[in-house]
Amino acid sequence: MLSVDNISVRRGATVTLHDVSFGLAAGRTLAVVGESGAGKSTLIGAILGLVPCSSGQVTWDKTPVARCRPALVMQEPRSAFNPRLSLYHSAMEPLVAQRTVPDPERLNMLCQGLEIPPNLLSRRPTEVSIGQAQRVGILRALIAAPPLVLFDEPLSALDAVTQKYTARLIAELQHEAGFAALIVTHDLGYAAAFADEIAVLRAGRVEEYAASRAFVEAPRTDYGRTLRDAAFALGALERVA
Amino acid sequence: MTITVSGLSASHSGRTILQETDVTIRPRERIGLVGASGSGKSTLGHALIDKLRAQGERSVAHVPQSPDEALDPLRSMAFHWREAERASGLAPDQARRQELFAALRIEGGDLRKRPWGWSRGMQQRFVIAMALIGTPDLLVMDEPTSALDPVVAASTMSLLENYLSDRQTALLLITHDLGLAACRMDRLMVMQTGRIVEDAPTQKVLSAPKTDAARSLCLHRSWLELPC
Amino acid sequence: MIKLVASLVLRASVVLTGTALATFALLWNAPGDPALAIALARYNAVVPVEVIDQVRAEAGLDGGFWSAFSGWITPLILGDLGQSSVTGRDVWPELVTAMSYTFPLALAGLLVGIAISVPLALLATQRPGGWLDRCAVALASIGAAIPAYWLGLLLILLFAVQLGWLPAMGARTPAHMLLPALTLGLGVAASLTRILRSGILEARGQHFLPAFRRRGVAASDISRHHVAPHVAVPVVTVFGLELAFLLEGAVMVEVIFSRPGLGSFLVSAIEARDFPKVQAVVILSAVLFVTINLLIDLLYRALDPRIGERDA
Repeated sequence: MLSVDNISVRRGATVTLHDVSFGLAAGRTLAVVGESGAGKSTLIGAILGLVPCSSGQVTWDKTPVARCRPALVMQEPRSAFNPRLSLYHSAMEPLVAQRTVPDPERLNMLCQGLEIPPNLLSRRPTEVSIGQAQRVGILRALIAAPPLVLFDEPLSALDAVTQKYTARLIAELQHEAGFAALIVTHDLGYAAAFADEIAVLRAGRVEEYAASRAFVEAPRTDYGRTLRDAAFALGALERVA
Repeated sequence: MTITVSGLSASHSGRTILQETDVTIRPRERIGLVGASGSGKSTLGHALIDKLRAQGERSVAHVPQSPDEALDPLRSMAFHWREAERASGLAPDQARRQELFAALRIEGGDLRKRPWGWSRGMQQRFVIAMALIGTPDLLVMDEPTSALDPVVAASTMSLLENYLSDRQTALLLITHDLGLAACRMDRLMVMQTGRIVEDAPTQKVLSAPKTDAARSLCLHRSWLELPC
Repeated sequence: MIKLVASLVLRASVVLTGTALATFALLWNAPGDPALAIALARYNAVVPVEVIDQVRAEAGLDGGFWSAFSGWITPLILGDLGQSSVTGRDVWPELVTAMSYTFPLALAGLLVGIAISVPLALLATQRPGGWLDRCAVALASIGAAIPAYWLGLLLILLFAVQLGWLPAMGARTPAHMLLPALTLGLGVAASLTRILRSGILEARGQHFLPAFRRRGVAASDISRHHVAPHVAVPVVTVFGLELAFLLEGAVMVEVIFSRPGLGSFLVSAIEARDFPKVQAVVILSAVLFVTINLLIDLLYRALDPRIGERDA
């Protein structure tokens, strides 16, 4: 399991993460929600070891996180691929890095799970829709069977219908493959519908941490309520009588 | 004043992206123009504004998706404001500016600064305020919430609606998100492959969608329904 | 602002010191005995060893590299370029005479370049991809590819030899300026046209301009207030480089057209190992480069304040 213990990140005089702690077990999903500048991207960087922590530590099963080879799904699917290579080439990069060859059975399973038609992978990133490109991005993240997958705003470039469709595919694959998922998003609706727990990040601190359903039904903090009410006001969450 | 436009169309490198379309918008209407990405929503919005402008209609305004698409990074906010006043054929008016800034809660913004000296949320509200300078008959907003944080986006929408509540301005909201349009607009126009396939009051579309496009949007309207 | 100017001046002084040290070292280590070269240039005959030693002492070359360097740089900091090792006369008046030939030539070349490139770029961008645009691009490419010495000789052949309209050699009358200025200006025009054209096209394609049109801002106001300022940034960059290279080009053109000026001043000084004279030219051009760069840096910040922000 992923355990984040009291990490703080400083950049010069400003603290971008302050004493953040949480755990995430295999098969579970944690959504980190918050506004721009709350420290969401810094948190991803800190977990991946790209941003040095000034204190605290991040481990996976008591070993450094890098050893479990976590995967990352990025926000902008098209710019996350080398435009000159075929999608297949890009999607297999994690295996090349680990000096192994694709397992046809796993590739087949993932393509079916992500509803990627067979000929799609021979195309280049600019020749497919954004939704398709993002599904290949998820394929690339999952191909080497990582135990931990980080999603950085995975749906924000997609339209509303494609968002829900892609979210469902991710959840189904997680059910089969059993990886731990950490989703960073500003969309409380997505977090509430698909995560087990929600951590609300504000100005580098965890403002509220709760089971997702309990959080959206009754936020404990004022800020949590503000976020929830904004989700209602924009129709991401809906009240029914 | 009711706005009527007929024969809107658009094509790009030989491909038709907007079929011949007629649009009628009555004063004070709140219309959601919804559809999947690539269905031609933004193209319709642009074509509508461009055609009205070409017909000599000055009282229409457009707010692009992101403030980056509306502001020149080398020019001060004051410059943008003066220019927008002139473009609406109005003399500079301190009171009008103060009223609009107060309505959108951007009184604290320093007009001498350039756009990047303001936060994105403030920039977006400034662009909306500029669009409202001449109290237009029609305001077209292209995905006004997607470039902003939800809290900022929700309060921006509320402030705008408050301001418009005692005015004749009609609002056309372009969005891929039926959830957003459904909770704020009275009439929906559903687009698919460059044409409006459904145009009806919001409740009617939600309760009895007639086309596949509308059904798909209704089905994926919100993430979660909560009993409260 | 004061902090900014101070940091720019500091950077400039580092560049100047480095240049002075580097050229002095290069000249010091050039093959052959510098004292012998000076003596040969001074007396124009074979000279005995004692005379060479005397020259060495006079020129301050006998105390080793650092003593020679400091002997030259100390008066320089106080504004004194020193005396020629060969003639013993002050370097400064000779340098001023040389500059009075070279700078007008460089200026004339620049004016010719601007006079050609600005209208050409404006015409070409009226219809991008049209025949006029393609001709302008082709001309600019050809212009950039032709070396000045070849172009200069062609112009001499045409206007001086074949047609006999213009004088080719020397600098006696203003008419003598025409061919060298044209040679210089055509090269400048080539690169300025290219950068102006692409700058204008890029500025016209900015993604925020459609919003200004839909806001009802007049087309003429859009080009004046929202296109032109964005063209200025890349153009200033190239313009600054152009000014610096103009001096280099002018020196070469002077040699082709046998004009007096910095070119001949420098060549004769190098041949005679006249350290103070060579150094004077090098320091002069370094000061010019640094000043131009400094001005451009400040101009950038005035044109696009984001540039200063990013540095901070």
